[in-house]
Amino acid sequence: MQVANRPSSDALNSDGTIKDFAVEPSVVLKSPSLHDLTEVISRPIEAKATLKWYIALAVSASLLMLEMVCWGISFYYGSGMWGNNIPVAWAFPIVNFVFWIGIGHAGTLISAILFLFRQKWRNGIARFAEGMTIFAVMCAGLFPLFHTGRPWLPLYLMPYPNKHAVWVNFLSPLVWDVFAVSTYFTVSLFFWYTGLIPDFATLRDRTLGKDLISKIKKSVYSVLSLGWRFSNRHWRHYERVYLILAGLSTPLVLSVHTIVSFDFAVSGLPGWHTTIFPPYFVAGAIFSGFAMVVTVLVFIRYIFDMQHLITVETLEKMNKIILLTGTIVGYAYGMEFFIAWYSGNLIEQFTFINRAFGPYAWAYWIMISCNVISPQMFWFRKLRRSVPIMFVISIFVNIGMWFERYVITVTSLARDFLPSSWGWYNPTLVDFGLLLGSFGMFFTLTLLFVKFMPVVSIAEIKSVMDEAKPSHHGGDH
Amino acid sequence: MSSTTHAIHYEKKHLPASAGTLGWGVLIAGLAVAGASFAMDPMRAKYSSIMLFMFLAGVGICSLFMVSIEYLAGAVWSTPLRRVFEILASSLLFLPLFALPILPFMQELYLWTHKTDDILARKAAYLNQPFFLIRLALILGIWILFYKLFTGRSYKQDETRDQDLTRKNVKLSAVFIPVFGISITALSIDFLMSLEPHWFSTMFGVNFFAGSLVAALGVITITVILLNENGYLVKGIIGDHYYSLGFGMFAGCVFWTYTAFSQGMLIWYANLPEETPWFLNRWEGSWKVITIALLLVHFIGPLFGLIQRKNKRNPSRMIFMAAWVIFAHVLDLYWIVVPVFQPEGPSLRLTEFGFIAIAIGFLIVLVTQQAKKKNLVAVGDPKLQRGLAFRL
Repeated sequence: MQVANRPSSDALNSDGTIKDFAVEPSVVLKSPSLHDLTEVISRPIEAKATLKWYIALAVSASLLMLEMVCWGISFYYGSGMWGNNIPVAWAFPIVNFVFWIGIGHAGTLISAILFLFRQKWRNGIARFAEGMTIFAVMCAGLFPLFHTGRPWLPLYLMPYPNKHAVWVNFLSPLVWDVFAVSTYFTVSLFFWYTGLIPDFATLRDRTLGKDLISKIKKSVYSVLSLGWRFSNRHWRHYERVYLILAGLSTPLVLSVHTIVSFDFAVSGLPGWHTTIFPPYFVAGAIFSGFAMVVTVLVFIRYIFDMQHLITVETLEKMNKIILLTGTIVGYAYGMEFFIAWYSGNLIEQFTFINRAFGPYAWAYWIMISCNVISPQMFWFRKLRRSVPIMFVISIFVNIGMWFERYVITVTSLARDFLPSSWGWYNPTLVDFGLLLGSFGMFFTLTLLFVKFMPVVSIAEIKSVMDEAKPSHHGGDH
Repeated sequence: MSSTTHAIHYEKKHLPASAGTLGWGVLIAGLAVAGASFAMDPMRAKYSSIMLFMFLAGVGICSLFMVSIEYLAGAVWSTPLRRVFEILASSLLFLPLFALPILPFMQELYLWTHKTDDILARKAAYLNQPFFLIRLALILGIWILFYKLFTGRSYKQDETRDQDLTRKNVKLSAVFIPVFGISITALSIDFLMSLEPHWFSTMFGVNFFAGSLVAALGVITITVILLNENGYLVKGIIGDHYYSLGFGMFAGCVFWTYTAFSQGMLIWYANLPEETPWFLNRWEGSWKVITIALLLVHFIGPLFGLIQRKNKRNPSRMIFMAAWVIFAHVLDLYWIVVPVFQPEGPSLRLTEFGFIAIAIGFLIVLVTQQAKKKNLVAVGDPKLQRGLAFRL
């Protein structure tokens, strides 16, 4: 195996082109020692929080407060505080729900599906993406809860025998959503936590201070690490569980957004009912989720000096997936338009022409330019590898994906079969407050996460180092 | 730009002559039966031609898809097997021949060629014979062009070992993928969906792609395992490589089920009169049995047969499962095509077996003929060594 032992710098040129296909490019650059890796990843947790972190937290926590106020208004006065009204009875809350659930897809895709596909580059970003998934699903979950109108009665969403004879309507995909999202959240949380156990043990062992804070920290990490002692037996069980959880999570990634798409597609409404919705929604979710991961990772790798762990090559691969999924979404837009024409159904045809050229055309063209056109920049290697450009495009993608849900929800409802029942949708300040505030919640949770937990998996990143290769022998460790 | 440091022990061996003879025998027998059927049971022969064409088109283009995805993803496990993908993709060259028996009978096979009503009049801009033929010529032409470009460089690399050829094919793959997506959708709409021209589904192209990919992987698996177990490929291809093919078949079957379920469930749930007839036709009489069988054969069987790691690493079980999924795809095509012509229920005659014999014989002849001229392993590929070192 001489080939695998050649220095990894032989694999790539400095511009990212492949120098030698016979050499496996390494995931981590600068070949740090295993100890260096632990140091770099633990530093943000162990060092004092910086002023920048406090400023960022202050901004996002303020937005979170805004969301709390808006939820309070919605709770006290009811959902009449929103712009939802007949005919547009579904609007911002559903749009925001689908948007955040979509963001929550990248994490499990990266950690589970890419794991099953043996994509080693995922190891540097999986932990962060998984954390992001959990926060995004939390942001999403609040919207349908309040949309039920009686957010204090969530138990009625569960089918349990009760003396009020309240029973859920199993024919409604909204009920399926409850099960799909809660299952996804639970399994993602377990998956995330399972991966964290060895890292909590590392942090436990590194917390040596004798002061009270350190002692509290150490006992918290001890409890969280579930008595992990890095023994061979622990690792064997761990790897088994990790594989099984990855296998279980994989269908869940697909099922959640599939069922979200059913919310629309089971209806008879033109523009909502089309058979390609499930895979199209899943591709769109992965698209927006990857974009959000890129948006945030670009900062994290810079602030925490992790450019050699979360490399430009890794980001480039993510951008390739953004290009691929963006193009799949483009295929679905095209297919919908073509079949609307091909069906010969005049109402279906009207819906799509109305979307593109009617009163909501601005939203449609924002969607098309952000989702289909902007990722096409990633055909060029230079643009794919440029951090500022990928940052801008990833923001565009998120804007576009929010507008996609807006276009689907609002345009189809605002103008349905009967012109006499056509209407217009005006969001209220509370609607905007909730949208903005949900970003506050997301970033507050993200900031707390990067301060208290290892943002890159210490154990997993070591498994893609040269030392972990079966061909590795010699060395000084 | 160093080449691989140690040599790969590939020795080109000729396939036994009996393999070629067998292939020709099956092919000729199939052609004889099919030819007789055109005289004796013409309608059955005509719609069977559609199934044969779409089966081989799917297998051919999805084999080329596997080639391109290897370049694009930088995969190494499939590099030692890629030449088999390329050889099977050469069936693309013969697709015009298989399309020929359909074209003279389009009037009988496709309602939209001779009847019109309000709805069909609205789609006449797409569903008309000249445009149909232009699309067919374009699609097959583009596919053959991509086949020539991909494999031309790959064969050249056997001699030159030039890594630039790989680099060029990586770029070509990126161009190929969107072209592939659009063309396979158009072909499936033209030949299969337009058999019932009033019906429409945005999922149809995706569903056909999923089914064809499964069938292509099935054919690839059988070919790879038969060649490798008898020592015609390079030393070092082991259960882990078979595993990956099985992984692909498993994922493909689940993906097919996902698309089929989404299509069926959404149409059932919305219950719109313009969409439901297609499924109602397949839920009547004995067609109901085929519909249920399709679910069992295309999903439940592969789900249990392929989920275990030990099955995916075992050559004989993999051959069995590969044959199974190929059958599943044939059943899928049968379920799409035949209810249009036999609404009363499925019935089998010798004709169907004749067409199946043509497909099997053709693929055997294709492999044996190509094996005479070409290496069965891409010996010049820079990733070959890494591919042979692939472990789970």
